[in-house]
Amino acid sequence: MERLKGEPRLAHRILIVDDEDDIREVAALSLETVAGWEVLTASSGAQGLARAAEFQPEAILLDVMMPGMDGPSTFRALRANPATAHIPVLLLTAKVQSNDQRRFADLGVEAVLFKPFDPLTLAAQMAAVLGWS
Amino acid sequence: MEPIAQPALDAAIQKLWEKFLPQMEERIATLERADAALAVDALTREQRSAANAAAHKLAGVLGSFGLTRGTILAREAEILYSGEPGTDPAAAAQLRAITAELRLLIAARKAS
Repeated sequence: MERLKGEPRLAHRILIVDDEDDIREVAALSLETVAGWEVLTASSGAQGLARAAEFQPEAILLDVMMPGMDGPSTFRALRANPATAHIPVLLLTAKVQSNDQRRFADLGVEAVLFKPFDPLTLAAQMAAVLGWS
Repeated sequence: MEPIAQPALDAAIQKLWEKFLPQMEERIATLERADAALAVDALTREQRSAANAAAHKLAGVLGSFGLTRGTILAREAEILYSGEPGTDPAAAAQLRAITAELRLLIAARKAS
């Protein structure tokens, strides 16, 4: 996804919350290098809540399966806090069973994205969901 | 940060692969330990849980490094270890074959 010189670009701010450091780093690399977005990361749900309130990202990419506070619990806590309730959340999961997908979609998140993701297209996938063109 | 083109992304992904390779290999080793225990009907609940988690993590990440087949195999292992593989004689052989292929795939990716 090569951009033309002089093409206007919005540097969206994203928070990635995932306990797996390899996933976190590949996703951050992807969003930073392919799309030029500003990325902050958190390695747990609790850290994600704090960083979301402080950093005020435009969207959060949130892992489902994490020890302690998992993705759905983190999402509910984000929605319960007025400082973060407005931030769109995209769940990221390696679960592909349809009952899991329905359960996650029913939470009220913007979208459910699946692992493994393609580093080259992750940003475009997120942008499409979020209406960022 | 200025966006970069695919060759630069590929190079950066390769660096991350090298960084996380020991983690991938440790997950394979976890599967191998569980497979070995299963073969002698000595798989503990902890080993099964660790193998299930290792397979889940591999399934979630291998495809992002271009190993789509690795994700498919790891997902099969995750499903088998989420049940009671000790009660199915065919499952032990299947899991050994899956883990062996995963190790080969990772070794081949390492060498590329």
